[in-house]
Amino acid sequence: MSQKAETPSIRHSRADIWSFVIFFGFVIVIVFLIYPLFDIFRYSFMDKKTQTFSLSNWKTFFSKVYYLRAFWHSIVIAILTTFFSMVLGIPLAFFTTRYRIKGANLLNTLSVLALLSPTFIGAYSWITMLGRNGFLRLLFQSIGINLPPIYGPLGIVLADTLQYYPFISLMTAGALMTIDRSLEEASENLGARSIKTFFSVTLPLVLPSVTGGALIVFMMSLSNFGTPMIIGGNYLVLPTLAYNLYTSEISQTPGMASTVSIILMLCASVVIVLQQWVSSRRKYASMLVNRPVIKQIKGIKSVLAHISCYGIVFFSTLPLAVIVYFSFRKTSGPVFKPGFSLDSYRQIFFDVPKTVTNSFLYSITAVLLIAFVGTLLGFVIARKRNAAVRILDPLLMIPYMVPGTVLGIGFIVAFNKPPIILTGTAAIIILTYFIRRLPYSVRSAASILKQIDPALEEAGINLGSPPGRTFRTITLPLMQSGIISGAIMSWVTSMNELSASILLYVGKTMTMPIKIYISVADGYFGTASAMSTILLFVTGIAMFIVNKYFNRGSETFIAA
Amino acid sequence: MTSIRIVDLEKRFGELRAISDINLEIEKGEFFTLLGPSGCGKTTLLRTIAGFYKQDQGDIYIDGELINKVPAYQRNTAMVFQNYAVFPHMTVFDNVAYGLRVRKLPKDEISRKVSAALKSVHLEGYEKRTPDKLSGGQQQRVGLARAMAIQPRVLLFDEPLSNLDAKLRIEMREEIRAVQKSLGITSIYVTHDQEEALVISDRIAVMEQGVIQQIGKPWEIYADPKNTFVAYFVGKINMLTMHLLEGAEGGLRSAVLGNLSLLVPSEGTEGLSEVIVAFRPEDVIEAATKASQNKVMGILKTVSFMGSVARFELEVEGQEITIDRHRPRESDIPQKGEHAFFAVPSDSMLLFDPKTGLRIGRGAKK
Repeated sequence: MSQKAETPSIRHSRADIWSFVIFFGFVIVIVFLIYPLFDIFRYSFMDKKTQTFSLSNWKTFFSKVYYLRAFWHSIVIAILTTFFSMVLGIPLAFFTTRYRIKGANLLNTLSVLALLSPTFIGAYSWITMLGRNGFLRLLFQSIGINLPPIYGPLGIVLADTLQYYPFISLMTAGALMTIDRSLEEASENLGARSIKTFFSVTLPLVLPSVTGGALIVFMMSLSNFGTPMIIGGNYLVLPTLAYNLYTSEISQTPGMASTVSIILMLCASVVIVLQQWVSSRRKYASMLVNRPVIKQIKGIKSVLAHISCYGIVFFSTLPLAVIVYFSFRKTSGPVFKPGFSLDSYRQIFFDVPKTVTNSFLYSITAVLLIAFVGTLLGFVIARKRNAAVRILDPLLMIPYMVPGTVLGIGFIVAFNKPPIILTGTAAIIILTYFIRRLPYSVRSAASILKQIDPALEEAGINLGSPPGRTFRTITLPLMQSGIISGAIMSWVTSMNELSASILLYVGKTMTMPIKIYISVADGYFGTASAMSTILLFVTGIAMFIVNKYFNRGSETFIAA
Repeated sequence: MTSIRIVDLEKRFGELRAISDINLEIEKGEFFTLLGPSGCGKTTLLRTIAGFYKQDQGDIYIDGELINKVPAYQRNTAMVFQNYAVFPHMTVFDNVAYGLRVRKLPKDEISRKVSAALKSVHLEGYEKRTPDKLSGGQQQRVGLARAMAIQPRVLLFDEPLSNLDAKLRIEMREEIRAVQKSLGITSIYVTHDQEEALVISDRIAVMEQGVIQQIGKPWEIYADPKNTFVAYFVGKINMLTMHLLEGAEGGLRSAVLGNLSLLVPSEGTEGLSEVIVAFRPEDVIEAATKASQNKVMGILKTVSFMGSVARFELEVEGQEITIDRHRPRESDIPQKGEHAFFAVPSDSMLLFDPKTGLRIGRGAKK
């Protein structure tokens, strides 16, 4: 007496709320990702004049030095940034986790602050220091040392490295702290000296994390728009090339911008796939019984370790400090005057208060959406693995591999024509924030859920609570702190978003990062500094809250 | 009165038959144990009863009601989980009150029932604690109190003691047994620990490969195993596959293995040329005289002294044999490599058919 046919399993017996969530997830992916990306794809294969299918854009890209050069620039910048980030990040991680470094927590906090600050702030600050009229450059000139201006590849690599190295130091430190002490002790016990132990046991164990961090740095540097835009000068990389092409093709079909976008996206995808592969492949399950010891070091060794740690963090914090300093300087129009004042702040609040409110309004709206939708989708992905969810899961990760510039171009080509017209609205900016952050929020909700023992939900059900009530009374409260801290991180990144919104804003929807960029371009450094300081302050507050109230470590920040 | 009736139950995971041909009747107030090695399907059966899995075939009745289509949250089958599943974001009180609040009981009744449940698991005064301040044993008591509080039709225990240390396990199993008896709630208890099953159960179902091998009282399972699996799994047993000689006399027949010759009960051995002779370590007797019947000589491999018993591992005709010597004295214990003698009384032997693994002779009819 088979009952299989007439009584399907209990979990799937009704078209419940989760089926709706899954459906809604597909709608989001199709409308706000596949459709814009497909439009870019279509335009890249469209002849500018005849509007018919053609390979002319692709032929142009691969035949003109102008385009190919940007491609190589991007790769070179990303490789150099990754290399130097490792040079800074690995020793910092090793010293702070294995030796007693005074103020290690402060160093950690400062490097995370640099990591989370808007990308363009660092670049802009280095210009104020080492640009054509940079105060450091002038200072060196006065004592007879002629430094070349910072514009170009040198500046990009410098700013990128000092911003992104914490990815490597934090991930490596995380791995170093979870190596069981007895593994290294076993090595020494078997006769290996410390150096040998480091290279044969410690390093191989943290290598997956180092590689993972390095690929993230590569990816961030490859798709970074703000830094090369501000400090790159004529040195074009793929994101800035795409932006320039787009703005020059404004009256026609954006064929070349689309082609460059696709190439940029392909590069990013390769890196993401590599990164996923590395992180899935070599994770050493470690039973952390004996935590690693933090050694007390003395004398010259201690001095050198302190100097290198403080030195690294000093140089990454310096640009931020300089910005804050300049924001309080007296200004007269674009010119800094001796003495201090709140002129720049006053100027913001009298001239462009809308920019500030826009930034807060858009990012907060986006974050509420992100937290809500991300939590529901995360639940579906972690707990309801049916065929549809298995398709939805990877689709939701697409925004990982779409650089902001590409998403911006995609949104503008897709949503400036029927059936959906959104260009010029606040909604398009909010949606950009939403889509860019959604994968992080889904991932983090799913991973929080994976740490919640399903037996807890079963216990709720078992005690008579229906699935909806169980979710509300058991699952959601357990996810709460993770959701809130994730939302705060989403908020910070949305506040600091530039690369997509700069393509999508109109006068009335301008946000702070865009205003900063324009002020820098126009030479109004005072306004730019004051606004940057506000953004830095917001970033710092958010970090503080996450650290203090949600007791989350640095992993939260790098996951963000 | 029957509390739970299961008819022809089967649950598959893809191609794998996790459980099949499950037929059970459990009496009201009975403490019923599902015993078996990991992967035998005992937890699957329990979770199917709870409604976490939907069977592919068969029926489950609770108190005469067919519950196939009743969702898990309406089954009133409270479970005590292996890893406690105590809600970490709630106090002890709120944990125990959870099911009562779902049932929308009045406040004063909830607090009365919570107090009573906590009292019966000796956790009075812990109401305001949070689970992270409790030991594993205490958390499991909360789990038990929480399940009891809703006065379920049946209590389900999913290896509730396996995460506790040995001493606590013994303490807790006695408590569970006492609480269950005092409340009289029908209970199904899953464990892989045969000693635990023997101590705690009214009846045991031994499972292997998704099928129930034998159902019986603890004594029956131990003394009258239906097949070699049950005999092996419950308690320690020696098994020798021996060649049967023709001709029975006085209900006994000769079986040989190398130089070893034993007289085994002839009942049920008709037509067989080989038989598995099984005996438990504690059933052997000292071979007092050289003429003792069924005398066995073995070479001593190891001795484990366990206080009241010394357990000898011997080599007999190339096979490992374990025997127990009760109230051992130091002078009694031979040296490693020395010969040791013992005898196996014919009436303590269990015989199995080597081809089917099924019990033959005495006790086989059951």
